[in-house]
Amino acid sequence: MLAQLLERVARRDPEAFAALYRVTVSKLYATALRILKRTEAVDDVLQDVYVRIWEKAENFDPSKGSPMGWMGAIARNRALDELRLNRLSLADVNNSLVEEEPISDEKEPLAILEQAEELARLSQCLARLDVERREMVLLAYRDGFSREELSERLGRPVGTIKTWLRRSLIELKVCLDR
Amino acid sequence: MTQEEIDVLAGEYVLGTLAADERDFVATLRLRDRTLNQAIEDWERRLAPLGETIRPVNPNQSILSQVQTRIAVREAENAKKLQASIVALEGLVRRWRSVAIVTTALAATILVAVGINANLLLPTPSNYVAVFQKGDASPAFLLTIDLNTRILSIQAVAAPVEPGKTYQLWIAADPTGGGPQSLGVIEDHGKATHRIPTSYDASVVQRATFGVSLEPVGGSPTGKPTGPVFHAKLIPTPK
Repeated sequence: MLAQLLERVARRDPEAFAALYRVTVSKLYATALRILKRTEAVDDVLQDVYVRIWEKAENFDPSKGSPMGWMGAIARNRALDELRLNRLSLADVNNSLVEEEPISDEKEPLAILEQAEELARLSQCLARLDVERREMVLLAYRDGFSREELSERLGRPVGTIKTWLRRSLIELKVCLDR
Repeated sequence: MTQEEIDVLAGEYVLGTLAADERDFVATLRLRDRTLNQAIEDWERRLAPLGETIRPVNPNQSILSQVQTRIAVREAENAKKLQASIVALEGLVRRWRSVAIVTTALAATILVAVGINANLLLPTPSNYVAVFQKGDASPAFLLTIDLNTRILSIQAVAAPVEPGKTYQLWIAADPTGGGPQSLGVIEDHGKATHRIPTSYDASVVQRATFGVSLEPVGGSPTGKPTGPVFHAKLIPTPK
């Protein structure tokens, strides 16, 4: 259904675009909000995201992934660009007005992750990382943590984080591409 | 770079752990480096399921209309770049209208963005536009006005061409009384530029009703509109 809407959006169908917006906005909003932590920044970012979706829809290739994954990547990229350019300090983040579930609820990632086959596969590979490195990957991907922020949160030097990232990525790739 | 280095760089890019300058570097490099671009897309696909674990949150207010306006403006700018004709514009307006989101202001935004009388339309508080249309029909005429210079410009958009007839522009403003006053005929391929008489104060012009009527060639013989009339009010040009 999403793929069909995207296809119509690629043909410049405004009605399909409005429909696509309605079914995806809460997901993309949550994705950007989780990274940016501030609602006022998210509105602008989200506008950019949907303009990009309109303009890039013709590049979407269903053989290369899911529509939601494609749109989510646009949202994450735009939010991360914003975050890295206008760096929020950890203090800002901690004082943020955004009410969110505690970040360390990720200790139970496998419970949520097993909802879908793809998720199950990814969660299996994540499960092979040790607890700290798994948390590191999730904090980076979902919450937009930088290396420095990861270092602070996990109480490890930045150099160690870099090494962990490198090794985790290599292991994940091997596991997922198998 | 080795394939492993590329994979790690792409992976960190997708994870989001790169610093601003590194992100920028990767974003630029991927445009001409297919291997890197492929590695990034692979990571996006591999990690996408994690996005599914994020609990949806509805924004406080819908941003759909802002997005639609921005898209309409960008589309119009693109149309301009491609030297698209006014016909393309009408299509654009019609298409957006069909979703019932086009207000007159948005229609004006689109036309303004395309640069009709662009020299008069620098976004200042003194610039106004008026769209003449009947019901849901395509805009018949677009009027732009700069209250500082008092220069008014009108252009036919989708007004039908009537042989042996001419369109005439009118202004009606209560304080001056006496019904509509002619601002002149619209002759030259549906385009005309006029200066608003100084007897009309800027604040009066802002609230005035403008009309375009179909008249015999040379203009109304009676000094008042005699044929079918389109009406429009001014709206500020979008910033």
